[in-house]
Amino acid sequence: MELLILFCTFVLLLAIGTPIAFCIGVSTFAAVLYLGLPPVIVFQRLIAGVTISSLMAIPFFIFAGDLMVRGGIAARLVALAGSLVGHLRGGLGQVNIAASTMFGGISGSAIADASAIGGLMIPQMKARGYDVDYAVNVTAVGAIIALLIPPSHNMIIYSISGGGRISIADLFTAGIIPGLLLAVALMIAAYLVARKRGYPTGVFPGFAAIGHMAIAAIPGLILIGIIFGGVRSGVFTATESSCIAIVYAALVTAFIYRSLSWEAFVEATLGAVRTTAMVLMIIGTAAAFGWLLAFLKVPTHMIQFMQSLTDNPLIIFLMINLILLFLGTFMDMSPLIIITTPIFLPVVTAFGMDPVHFGVIMILNLGIGLCTPPVGAVLFVGCAVGKISIWTAIKTICPFYAAAIAVLLLVTYIPAISLFLPNLFK
Amino acid sequence: MTALVLSPTVRFLNVISKLALWLAGIGLVLMTVLIAYQVFSRYVLNSSPSWTEAASTMLMTWFIFLGAAIGVREGYHLGFDVLLAIGTPRAQSIMRSLSDLVVLGFGAGMVVCGMQLVMGTWNTTLPALELPGGTSYLPLVAGGALMCLFTVERLLQRLGSVEPVLENLEG
Repeated sequence: MELLILFCTFVLLLAIGTPIAFCIGVSTFAAVLYLGLPPVIVFQRLIAGVTISSLMAIPFFIFAGDLMVRGGIAARLVALAGSLVGHLRGGLGQVNIAASTMFGGISGSAIADASAIGGLMIPQMKARGYDVDYAVNVTAVGAIIALLIPPSHNMIIYSISGGGRISIADLFTAGIIPGLLLAVALMIAAYLVARKRGYPTGVFPGFAAIGHMAIAAIPGLILIGIIFGGVRSGVFTATESSCIAIVYAALVTAFIYRSLSWEAFVEATLGAVRTTAMVLMIIGTAAAFGWLLAFLKVPTHMIQFMQSLTDNPLIIFLMINLILLFLGTFMDMSPLIIITTPIFLPVVTAFGMDPVHFGVIMILNLGIGLCTPPVGAVLFVGCAVGKISIWTAIKTICPFYAAAIAVLLLVTYIPAISLFLPNLFK
Repeated sequence: MTALVLSPTVRFLNVISKLALWLAGIGLVLMTVLIAYQVFSRYVLNSSPSWTEAASTMLMTWFIFLGAAIGVREGYHLGFDVLLAIGTPRAQSIMRSLSDLVVLGFGAGMVVCGMQLVMGTWNTTLPALELPGGTSYLPLVAGGALMCLFTVERLLQRLGSVEPVLENLEG
């Protein structure tokens, strides 16, 4: 009954357009009242859910990403990507994906990636005769790569939701191969669609130009090394590395590129406050929601229920993937990680899956959900930049979904794709 | 008439929300400085300060709740707005008002329960910062109070059948 109240309140509020943070918070509140528990507990959990020092990486990475976009680091990465893969069929589509991969190495947020790369690439692609729907599709699905390539603040959320015992360094390392695999799969999809639509190929700029672009992009590329190297070697915690990323980005853009004005800095700061306050408010209320689910022993019931259905782990993993894909279509990524990790992680570990492996699956799966309507933040950003309706974009997005889901299945059923690299470091 | 009565209030709230936004922004920059100092201190000064992490985490809770309240006013919280988009203007207005009431209720809960938590833990001490334990719940009270103010503003504006200016940005 209390679960019914919880979910009915949630769905009802969601339907009338209440912001998700409050849907989650108020439905938890309603269920707590029904159970006769002291309501103060909801707010205590809300505060406890955000007073976690490793969560600071989220505002830091978002802030750093904002600075890198406004300060021109992203633009130089796009230029480098352009000189590397621009001559392939459907050139600018390939450039878009390659740039997403590189920018993902410093930003770690799919929304930042979509707005940064999309903002630079979509107008260019339009001008060069590419259809806007193609440009938006490539941008949106390509942005998922940023979630897998370290740093990824969603992996930090996963680590916290899993009880804080899952190594962030291992999760970061585990995302690399799946991220690159996704990039390759999307490039193939982009190539096939480009060939069918007869998009032009670019001109190979020559190695001198590549060298030139690479030198301009070096400060951005160094950051990848600082963040990943620092976290992997234990020199920095993930939070500290994200803070260093801000300091580094501010110094490079203000003194080397000289492209960051005071106004741009203020705008980046206030923009980061808005984004992170929204994300972290959701994380806080989701923590209260997750606590309630644990209090009601939902995870235990879920294991028993799934074990009663089948004892074949392959089918269990498929079912969990389908459930996550379904939830991902209408919910945002971070609350889903917080709510579903405590439910599904015990199930998959009971069936022999490594928590790090499951983290990669979950991030990729929910990342796809960011590109699916009715709620898909990344797709929305892409459509907003390209100025087309969601409907126009999704009519032709299928090849890209197919590529992403193929990679999801590979990652799910071949643990080595995720675990090979972290095991090398052990 | 209503618009005339409201406008000084609206202007006042504009100032409040701008102030809160700037405070939150300064909090974010301060957090960055603290953690950067922590790294600098560890590797250059060879001593790890014990208070920087706790202090910046507390700054984070302040800017989350201030920012979340401003989000209510500026309407940048993420939501599922498909039904909202297909509704008639009248249905939209009803749905928005219901949502605002829900947010108002939650904001009030944040204030009331936040106060209880502040008072209940005031006599304890946060080890790293040597501050009363209750201080960690103060952002809840402040953010909740602002949320209430801003939702009441939206509701009143809608009653005066003047749509809040910022709501147009949501679509």
